[in-house]
Amino acid sequence: MKEVMAVIRMNKINDTKRALNEAGISSFTATGRVQGRGKGLVDYRILHGAEEGSPEAIAQLGEGPRLVPKRLITVVVSDDWVDRTVETIIKTNQTGSAGDGKIFVLPILEATRVRTGETVEGPSGGDVLDSSGGLT
Amino acid sequence: MSKLLIRSIVRPEKADVVMEALLEAGYPAVTKVPVFGRGKQRGLKVGEVTYDELPKEMLMTVVPEADKEFVVKAVLKAAKTSEAGNFGDGKIFISPVESAYTISSGVKED
Repeated sequence: MKEVMAVIRMNKINDTKRALNEAGISSFTATGRVQGRGKGLVDYRILHGAEEGSPEAIAQLGEGPRLVPKRLITVVVSDDWVDRTVETIIKTNQTGSAGDGKIFVLPILEATRVRTGETVEGPSGGDVLDSSGGLT
Repeated sequence: MSKLLIRSIVRPEKADVVMEALLEAGYPAVTKVPVFGRGKQRGLKVGEVTYDELPKEMLMTVVPEADKEFVVKAVLKAAKTSEAGNFGDGKIFISPVESAYTISSGVKED
């Protein structure tokens, strides 16, 4: 089992939701609003303001990268569904410019369904996971 | 080289200090998540009232395995409220990351 953790643009959450559903991955968790920064990101509004000579914008330049609001989504899938999940997220969220986000894949040791108490251990447990790859 | 996910749960007022420290240490990429929680002290007790959902900020950063000690030290130094430290200063959790992708290029990083 793997946890696919993706930080994506705020306005892509609905498209991602739809795309994951169409790919057969129906279950996932989304965290409301997270703040993030990447490898030295540019805030275009401040740059634009600085170009026009606004003193506030100029004062904010050179303070290092700014925090940008993002959405954090977490999908737990079985091992053989990881590639499909990652591909779907990349395909939906790729605009080609900086700030599209990151995807991290982490191992999950165990999953338990609260309703029944079923537990699956090991990296490739398949019992709790249904054929669609998600925890049902 | 494999990567590690470092999740630091710190005081909200210390989040900016830690982010600044990480930036200076050469790790600009961080995600900040507002969280609520309690620790070993079972929350804060003020008179009769117990507060067990204390606001914290979780800072998530993915670093190469070799840089673990350095980053943890940087976070520890920035997040402590005094030389000895206080209850409520937070925790750091480290987990393995199997793979990382940049969405804009679709490239798998190593």
